[in-house]
Amino acid sequence: MADKRKSLIKLKPKKFKDGEVVKVSFMVMHPMDTGMRKDKKTKKIIPAKYINSVKFNYNGKDITTMTVWESLSVNPVFTTYMKINGKGKLTVTYTDNTGEVHEKSKKIKPKG
Amino acid sequence: MQRRDFFKKVGAVAAVGAVMPAMSFAADAKPVGPNAMSFKTAVDTITGGKAPKASKKIKLKLPEIAENGAVVPVTVEVESPMTDADYVKAIHVLAGKNSNARCIDVNLTPANGKAMFATRIKLGGTQEVSALVELSNGDFLIASQSVKVTIGGCG
Repeated sequence: MADKRKSLIKLKPKKFKDGEVVKVSFMVMHPMDTGMRKDKKTKKIIPAKYINSVKFNYNGKDITTMTVWESLSVNPVFTTYMKINGKGKLTVTYTDNTGEVHEKSKKIKPKG
Repeated sequence: MQRRDFFKKVGAVAAVGAVMPAMSFAADAKPVGPNAMSFKTAVDTITGGKAPKASKKIKLKLPEIAENGAVVPVTVEVESPMTDADYVKAIHVLAGKNSNARCIDVNLTPANGKAMFATRIKLGGTQEVSALVELSNGDFLIASQSVKVTIGGCG
């Protein structure tokens, strides 16, 4: 797919200190088709398109890696916690079964 | 035609009519997904034959009745210090009656600080959802909860 998918990284709380444990959620606009559903108009099976793997990378280190199957909802959300360890960048990458790769990153600036 | 014969014929037609739709349903069975896997084989492949223990350390948050099976929020929280010596290695979310029981495997590290994972899953019908947790010492814990689904999500 040529069109760019919208994604979002959310940190909670927004302001945090060094060493704090923060909630991170990653959201993507993705169809997550299982390959079992039929199109109501054309009566053809919609081919499978779902996210295979998700990676949370913080300052070059993989914090969380996920293997995903088709039974996640449309526009999935992945929420975990992470420990703030200095200034840096959080990068979330996903690949899907058709080979689509998407990357989203967010700068992390702890205060105090 | 006598009354007795008439009823016999009508009855036969009604019986055929009742059977026909059932047969057409069977022929039009749902296509099997590419990664179809039953709950038992999913557990076995994850644990490698080890029997997981039921544990109260796992907090599984799920709605008891899900109005829409396409979006069911799941939260798994595990009590763990999350240090290098003792941490939660992985959280697996399994839906017992989905054609592919495995929903997601999450591999955690001590850098997470807290063993928690939340997402939204699809459920094909009323079934039991389980969280299988792998600890860093190689033990497996399991917790399950049944969810009543009024509209299925996997079409």
